[in-house]
Amino acid sequence: MIPVAGAVSLNLSLAFAILTLFAIGFYIRYNDFRLFLTGQRLSLASSGLSVISTIILTNELILGNFDLDYVAHYTSNETPLLYKITALWAGQSGSMLFWLAILSIYAIIVVLQNRKEHHLLMPWVIIVITIVQLFFLGMTNFVTNPFEPTNADFIVMNGNGLNPLLQNPTMAIHPPMLYLGYVGFTIPFAFAIAALIKKDASSLWIKTIRRWTLVTWLFLGIGIILGGWWAYLELGWGGYWAWDPVENASFMPWLTGTAFVHSIIIQEKKNMLKIWNMILIILTFTLCIFGTFLTRSGVMSSVHSFTASGLGPLFFGFVILILIVSYSLLYVRRKHFQTEKQLESFTSRESGFLFNNVVFVVMCFAVFWGTIFPVISEAVRGTKITVGAPFFNQINIPIGLILLFLTGVGPLLAWRNTSKESLIKNFTFPLIVAFIIVGLLLALDITGNAMMTLSLSGFVFTTIVIEFWRGIRARTRKFDESIISAFIKLIQKNRSRYGGYISHLGIVLMFVGFSGHAFDIEDEWGLQIGAKETVGNYEIELDALSEEERPNHYAYIANLNIYTSGGEFVTDLHPEKRIYFHRDPNPDKRQPHSELDIYSTIVRDIYSIFTGVDPKNQVGYFKIMINPLVQWVWIGSYFLIIGTVIAMWPVKRGKNELE
Amino acid sequence: MNSKNKFIFAVSGVILVFVIWVYWVSTSPSEGAKSMVTFVTIDNLIDDYENERVRLGGRIQDGSIQISKSNLLDVHFMLDQGDESVKVHYSKTRPDLFKNGVEVIVEGVYTGGIFKADMLQTKCASRYEGDLRDESEYSMEEVEI
Repeated sequence: MIPVAGAVSLNLSLAFAILTLFAIGFYIRYNDFRLFLTGQRLSLASSGLSVISTIILTNELILGNFDLDYVAHYTSNETPLLYKITALWAGQSGSMLFWLAILSIYAIIVVLQNRKEHHLLMPWVIIVITIVQLFFLGMTNFVTNPFEPTNADFIVMNGNGLNPLLQNPTMAIHPPMLYLGYVGFTIPFAFAIAALIKKDASSLWIKTIRRWTLVTWLFLGIGIILGGWWAYLELGWGGYWAWDPVENASFMPWLTGTAFVHSIIIQEKKNMLKIWNMILIILTFTLCIFGTFLTRSGVMSSVHSFTASGLGPLFFGFVILILIVSYSLLYVRRKHFQTEKQLESFTSRESGFLFNNVVFVVMCFAVFWGTIFPVISEAVRGTKITVGAPFFNQINIPIGLILLFLTGVGPLLAWRNTSKESLIKNFTFPLIVAFIIVGLLLALDITGNAMMTLSLSGFVFTTIVIEFWRGIRARTRKFDESIISAFIKLIQKNRSRYGGYISHLGIVLMFVGFSGHAFDIEDEWGLQIGAKETVGNYEIELDALSEEERPNHYAYIANLNIYTSGGEFVTDLHPEKRIYFHRDPNPDKRQPHSELDIYSTIVRDIYSIFTGVDPKNQVGYFKIMINPLVQWVWIGSYFLIIGTVIAMWPVKRGKNELE
Repeated sequence: MNSKNKFIFAVSGVILVFVIWVYWVSTSPSEGAKSMVTFVTIDNLIDDYENERVRLGGRIQDGSIQISKSNLLDVHFMLDQGDESVKVHYSKTRPDLFKNGVEVIVEGVYTGGIFKADMLQTKCASRYEGDLRDESEYSMEEVEI
């Protein structure tokens, strides 16, 4: 019975969404305020029903109702509770519903939050959100319904279960974070479209969406980082980013989103770049939908499945529709959003922001080009081509370095124009630091991209430290505070500025981590017990092999001793080779899984993979990688997250007026 | 030149440099050999692409996996594409999902009747997202009604 309720509330949600459009449409036409109230309530009802239907599906997953096709595919009796819940976004129809549920929750928040604000914009904001909801309601109701009954002529006693690779806590958080990010951009997009329609070129609504945008952008960033982290810890190829289409799909909206997060500051403070901001937010939202489409429709796995999947053409149509409608609207309204103010000088903060924006968009385009190149190549030349990581690295490293440079320069430029004296004052010391690093690295025979990255990182790092130091010194002199309390007050008094610096510091540290990739070393061999092999400056010894049967798998466990080339003991590592479904009589149904073991320090990771085992001869096969500086990628991301949280933390009402 | 034009000029310059850069990276043959690889069919492979670095996609023929007794990393198997098939040799770490009947993508060079692969991926486009297992059938106990 209950699954039927899920399907019905999904139907009702669709009906209410259509009614919402009518109610608000009539309000706009006849201006009867009661119609607007009705519209708001209908929208809340529609969103609420979508959420209810998602809760029902989750409940069925937990109960293990294998009468539902979706439940039977992605859970089994043995699946632990946590992963029964995460199965909600493990498959196509469930993840579409999940998208809809998040959007609905956002919609409820926006409608309730703005009941008394933005009276001119809100009707259109609700209309835009409802149209996006309708798209996903249409999908989940008619194309890929998660409440579809099992298609089997026998009673299904147990389901398929969730892939062991996905049974990892990181995997429980990564997709929801990404989705919170993808979906969240709908809200600023809806406000932008509403502002275009109502010709509202003021900065009022920008203030409303600034925090939305930062939160959403942060979710997307955390989602991307968690994905990389999971890949590094679980997948066992020793890296965290492979430039595959699915990763690129999440990275592209992050890039344009980052540009948007920066350039709305200009609109807020200087009332400039209004058209540009519109272009960015439309682009970002479109890329979010496009990203969901790439991830979910399987277009990229095989170019040929484009027409096979029902989702592909629909998503593609929706993306094109958004682009055409939004940009036509922007073109029609462009006169209302032009500003008289002009950029005055290249060495102004405004132009720093402008170039940062251009470079972000350029990078996004580079990633986009590499991602869709195979599709274009097949369409135009008839040959299928794959674009690998070397292409993306080669194309993006210089762009990334320019961005890193701008990260250091931008915040130190003054609004309107920066005097020569101030340029000299601000940049002399950081440049000296950068050149000292270049010298040191050359002495160590480190050149190329790694040298560029590290010296630029030193440059940016110094600019940030100087900024903090100046602020602290000013406070200690003026208010007679200790250095620590001055540091805390400094951040408190100007959260967006110093939060931004902390985020920039995070980016610098991440770049330091990226530069380590140039020095990765790896090797693989079979080892008998007691045998030793060398990789880089380390010796790896297989000390012992043991076996263990555990509740849902069989494990071979290696004990590796790691020594420096001087013979000094460093650590021991215990990678495992596991066989899931090891009792299955059909060997092809058994699933091997390599559980890694990593020894991490801030200088380097020693990464061990148990690739194969020959129990008869007591030989283990291992792949060992020495990955320098990887830890800094994760440390940097903590700073990035903390900085963003500081920047968007609400300032207490009334506090601003006091200062 | 007034200020607005100056900036339009500068931004256009940045974009122009970028377009040239993308074009150069996309077409430069030295790096291109590594970063852009053509997908071919087994048919074309044998006729046109001998000794050239290419990618092949296909299914591992059931029962064709032969792992060397002396080196577990060393494997030969037959890759099927419909009726066509080719012998593949690979001697690096295999992905966990590597087994009979699975779809794989290999990259390498075809010489002397054997495709020597140095890259092997089990096919799973959205490997983060849970549709890794065969969805075409349920693995469940059947109960007569």
